[in-house]
Amino acid sequence: MAILECKDLSKRFGSVDALTDVSFAVEPGRIVGLLGPNGSGKTTLIKLVNGLLTPTSGQVLIDGEAPGKRSHSLVSYLPDRNCLPQWMTAGQLLDFYRDFYPDFREDAAREMLSRLEIPEKRRMKQLSKGTREKVQLILVMSRAARLYLLDEPIGGVDPATRDYILQTIIGNYNPEASVILSTHLIADVEKVLDDVLFIHQGHIMLRTSVDQIREEKGMSVDQLFREVFKC
Amino acid sequence: MLRKLMKHEFRATGRVMGPLFGLLLIAAIAARFSVGVLLESSARFLNLLGGLFTTAFVIAIVGVCVMSLVLMINRFRTNLLGDEGYIMFTLPASVHQQIWSKLIVSAVWFIATGLAVVAAGFILVAQQGFWLEIRRGFAEIFRHLTAYYAFNGTAFLFELLALIFVGCCVLCLEFYAAMAIGHSFANHKVLYSVLSFLGLQFVMQLLSGGILVGTNYDILVVALPSDGVLAMHSVMLTMIVSTAVFGAVYYVITTMLLKKRLNLE
Amino acid sequence: MQWQFSNDAPIYAQLIRGIQIRIVAGIFPTGERLPSVRDLAAEAGVNPNTMQRALSELEREGLLYSARTTGRYVTDDVKLVNSLKRRLAEGRIGAFLQDMRELGFESEELLDILRQELEKEE
Repeated sequence: MAILECKDLSKRFGSVDALTDVSFAVEPGRIVGLLGPNGSGKTTLIKLVNGLLTPTSGQVLIDGEAPGKRSHSLVSYLPDRNCLPQWMTAGQLLDFYRDFYPDFREDAAREMLSRLEIPEKRRMKQLSKGTREKVQLILVMSRAARLYLLDEPIGGVDPATRDYILQTIIGNYNPEASVILSTHLIADVEKVLDDVLFIHQGHIMLRTSVDQIREEKGMSVDQLFREVFKC
Repeated sequence: MLRKLMKHEFRATGRVMGPLFGLLLIAAIAARFSVGVLLESSARFLNLLGGLFTTAFVIAIVGVCVMSLVLMINRFRTNLLGDEGYIMFTLPASVHQQIWSKLIVSAVWFIATGLAVVAAGFILVAQQGFWLEIRRGFAEIFRHLTAYYAFNGTAFLFELLALIFVGCCVLCLEFYAAMAIGHSFANHKVLYSVLSFLGLQFVMQLLSGGILVGTNYDILVVALPSDGVLAMHSVMLTMIVSTAVFGAVYYVITTMLLKKRLNLE
Repeated sequence: MQWQFSNDAPIYAQLIRGIQIRIVAGIFPTGERLPSVRDLAAEAGVNPNTMQRALSELEREGLLYSARTTGRYVTDDVKLVNSLKRRLAEGRIGAFLQDMRELGFESEELLDILRQELEKEE
């Protein structure tokens, strides 16, 4: 059964249509790229799946259920901004995640922290913006979740960290779990993806696999994206 | 899950309230020292210092009370309706649990603040035999109350405490409901929150007043037991229950909005 | 050996080619066990499903085989590996020749320059 299913999902903000009749399903074991220009509805879609927004119409099902207590225990979510309480240390955050998520692998998180040389005793507000983002990503990737929803995971980090993040996603691969990541830095993530969803002005424009694009069009997803969204 | 939410809520608030209580304690001791020694002294400078300490004590008391209120509002606003809400609302916890954890922890801090202020007052005036006097004084009051008005002083005290406790919780809920309404708007969230609070306050006063005015006085007299003891208890209970009813309404407003119209930026 | 990918061909096809080269070059020696799919994917920086697809394709070609419990091995059929080596070489030489013709080299001239360059290398 699909781990995530969206049926005719629409979201309006006042008179603005942020998403219109979005339908798709994601099977277990897939790494899916949600690709679109800024303001195309990527974040809105991810927030709907997380229950941070309520749909105007249509349905979101995570493992067959609407977003809620159970879906939150299945989904590991990286927001598009840093939301970690500024007064907490990385160590306290480990404690927080261990308390709330039974699937949190504390030793994996510790290892990643030390690998990226992030001190456990320093408060978030004392760390640089990039380091805070890394802490948040480590917490999210240290869960053994069924669905990872990563909103712009590689947007604000340096190329070395970008590689580390992608390596972590690959190394973390589990045939039972799916990853959805939104980005506009396609060239960097293309090789990591199974499928791509092109989203534009709240509509799904294209849903296919990376190799299908390359096979049929003879170009990379990045090139196709530039062509489709040419200004 | 509620227990865990409360644990982390205590952790987040304790780091502010703990030091504040510590400060209050120091201020109380300093003020005590001033009253006992500095203000009695003939040196001008020491008098001045004593005055300063005493002022600091008053400021500390007011500060702790204000801070416990501000912290209660601020935790709800930043932790649930701000960016941290992205983490809190994606925890495997229900909206009810989120609100209860905030509510219970706030109520505990209100009570703790009350106790801390009373304790600070005791430190200021405590002398040998003072405790005994206090106890004797209260016993006296209760005895008089029981004798003259024929109601149970102890029961009344508990009712009063219960009313204060319920009142604290309902005040929390009123703020929560106001912020939940304000933040369901797309813009000017703070402005709308303040307006919502004023609106809720207005409606509450109107309703309480309306009930009081609208009630037929004769019915009230008939309904109330003629016995003074029971009448007093009935009034207290009615106040507690009606406050709690307002609290329940605020609770429903808050949970409904957070469930159906959650609108994090 | 670094993994590099071009934009114009499917990634799984490029993975197949990359693994073939590594087998021919002896980086993955004949008869030896191959690293796990996940490790290979991590090393190449690609999606594990795509790597899996490439490996299955190579299994179908007979270049790899799976033992039920112990993992995936490179074939010990040396003849098969050699013919693959030949095929890969032919492909590259074909492209090379085309480039040289474009530069206007005749066969004799080409052999001369090749000989000279090889001597220089030694």
